[in-house]
Amino acid sequence: MMRWLRRLSQVLFLGLFLLLFLQARYPYEPLLPVDFFLRASPLVALGTALSSRALPSLMIWPALLILLLTVIFGRVFCGWICPLGTTIDISDRLFLRARRQKKRDSLRFRSWKFAILVAVAATAFFSLQILWFFDPIALLTRTLTGFVYPAFVYLVSSLFDAGLEIDWMAESIYTLYDSAQQNLLPLQQPAFYGSMAIALFFFAILFLGSVSRRFWCRNLCPLGALLGIFAKYRFLRRTVSSECTACAVCQRRCRMNAIEDDFTLNNAVECIQCGECETVCKPQAISYRFGRGPQLNQIDLSRRRFLQAGVFGLVGVAAVKSTAQNRNAIGGVIRPPGSLPEAEYLDRCVRCLECVRICASTGGCLQPAGWQSGWEGLLSPLSIPRMGYCEYNCNLCGQACPTGAIKKMPLPEKQHTKIGTAYFDRSRCIPWYSHENCLVCEEHCPLPEKAIRFDEKTVTTADGQVRLVKFPAVIEELCIGCGICENRCPVVGKPGIFVTAAHADRRS
Amino acid sequence: MQRINRRDFIKTGLTAAAGALLLPGAIAADSRPDLVVVSNGEPAELVRQAVEALGGIGRFVRPGQTVLIKPNIGWDRVPEQAANTNPDAVAQMVRMCVEAGAKTVRVLDRTCNQARRCYQRSGIEEAAKKAGAQVRHIIESRFQEIDIPAGELVKSWPVYRDVLESEVIINMPIAKHHSISGVTLGFKNFLGVLGSDRGALHRDFATKIVDINSALRPTLTIVDGYRVLLRNGPTGGNLQDVAVKKTVVAGTEPVAVDARAAGLLEVDWRDVDYLRIAEQRGLGKCLLEPARVKTIQLG
Repeated sequence: MMRWLRRLSQVLFLGLFLLLFLQARYPYEPLLPVDFFLRASPLVALGTALSSRALPSLMIWPALLILLLTVIFGRVFCGWICPLGTTIDISDRLFLRARRQKKRDSLRFRSWKFAILVAVAATAFFSLQILWFFDPIALLTRTLTGFVYPAFVYLVSSLFDAGLEIDWMAESIYTLYDSAQQNLLPLQQPAFYGSMAIALFFFAILFLGSVSRRFWCRNLCPLGALLGIFAKYRFLRRTVSSECTACAVCQRRCRMNAIEDDFTLNNAVECIQCGECETVCKPQAISYRFGRGPQLNQIDLSRRRFLQAGVFGLVGVAAVKSTAQNRNAIGGVIRPPGSLPEAEYLDRCVRCLECVRICASTGGCLQPAGWQSGWEGLLSPLSIPRMGYCEYNCNLCGQACPTGAIKKMPLPEKQHTKIGTAYFDRSRCIPWYSHENCLVCEEHCPLPEKAIRFDEKTVTTADGQVRLVKFPAVIEELCIGCGICENRCPVVGKPGIFVTAAHADRRS
Repeated sequence: MQRINRRDFIKTGLTAAAGALLLPGAIAADSRPDLVVVSNGEPAELVRQAVEALGGIGRFVRPGQTVLIKPNIGWDRVPEQAANTNPDAVAQMVRMCVEAGAKTVRVLDRTCNQARRCYQRSGIEEAAKKAGAQVRHIIESRFQEIDIPAGELVKSWPVYRDVLESEVIINMPIAKHHSISGVTLGFKNFLGVLGSDRGALHRDFATKIVDINSALRPTLTIVDGYRVLLRNGPTGGNLQDVAVKKTVVAGTEPVAVDARAAGLLEVDWRDVDYLRIAEQRGLGKCLLEPARVKTIQLG
């Protein structure tokens, strides 16, 4: 009974998660705010609050709700809600061989998740935010954006494209394609830097399931560790009646390896309330009940491990913060409109790539960073105008950001927020280089009064022709750095006009 | 677009010749204008009157034909900003084609800003769908390279298949200022059915758009001059740059239509390079004889 309820809940929440992911796009008409799940992660709330030294805003009420649920019902988030947990359950079941376990799995890695939690907190306290690497919701959202969805779109559109080649069905395929594009598919194939790394990390997590089921949840997930601490004195407890025959089936089938060797006790910190033990118990000796019965609540973190994690975190902070920064890059990294000042931005950004996802459905300038902004800025969203442009009439990245790293701004304010400034490279720009008219940049410039203007001059070319040529120039005060000029510049390779982060408005 | 083979050409020619011999009256009856200018009405009414004056929709669309309407949906702008063709004008054109018995009426454009934004915010997607059109987004794999035998600089270019496969093409630009060509009208609007990197066409722009238009000829061109963008085109955005002219210029001669519509932008057609080149290269006359032009003032 409990198993089926749980499975239903898992499927529904995974479905909701995927639905909200699909709804993070233009036109923005979501069922719930698309960052709902991210705001439901207490780790995201706590970690960003620590690193940015700011009390999280009321926007994190879903996280508070999850904490409250955990105090009462134990780690139901992990067992019943977490979309990564569900994904791992499905993958464990589908792809990894079912083993008849003779003995209990080892407990040796169990302490790691607490160590990771300590390291996350320690680094956050010194303003280096690494929770993004581990938080399951941020991780899964990032994987969907960066890898799963682009791969899915590629496969499905390839099928459609193949269908369009077949004459007699082309018409109906086109109609079908068009309607798929209304909700499921984007108009352009999304493609992101770093997608291979994101995919590898994700598959590594799934593959760890071959060591033991829910390996990630048991041993590595710091959100699980945090919730475990809150679950210590849960009210909904596992109770075992005297019918128990000590057959050990429950212990072997427990995906969290939370059941002790006497089979009556289970560890409240580890148990995710999935109810599997209740279902598999032949004599029906197991039930979950509200009460104050006996239970174990052991946080498996030795003092030594705690210290190790803390020291490791601090050394990491010192190493990252004392690395030389590329001066060109500091001025050159273009952040989304409404981004906080760089240090605060990196304190808050959890690399969920929700903004990148939503941007891909409009202008498509946002990409996860590689090494452009150093170790500290890995996978943080930045604008690469050659890949896409910041749409003048769009302010969706700020709406999708769960932590306020990108401010929510009304459209008129966003339209006046400078994210950078464009510069001509006169050695490449066509009118300057070869004295021929072009003006594609001016044509596309979305500012109502045009931030690119031109000066018409008569010139004599190298081979002696006299021509009237329109020479473009940027009006620095008007340019907001949207980058559509760089994006559409017809010069092959390095463009004749490019945007840098110069004069970007990064007020907090 | 209809490709005529030699046999059809001879057949049609013979039929026409026979018709001309047998029915001298038919030629006299064909005193329908080839260019009309209708002013002082609402967008849909302007379009309706223009098509009526040209001889009615039956002159262009026969029952069972496939029609493609190419408005300008290039920009993420609302109708008041006059960067895209007026949605009511497009819807009216769709309605007439449907009433004429067209098999399909398709509306599309390869946009400059993100397509979904343009289709929605221009109002064209909704209006045209309501009027009975299939409003389609461009699929990048559906371009087909065509030869441009008369092209000077552009010898071939990928064109959207739906355009090549449609029997009737209706080009519906909006009249706007444009820094390269001075104006953007029917000739420039046709770039919206091209694939590949259109930015590359901006060098020697005038010659190149004439090249393109030498290979693609619309059945009918209707220039939306209800609101025109006088400055900071083709994107606009500032309502002070928009003038309400409540006019439509329509006709079967693309060069003459553009030449006439340039006036809406307060530009003399003689100053528009591509029109001069198009006339020189025999794509059509900028000025038609007065008998072929009709001017209508409504209300």
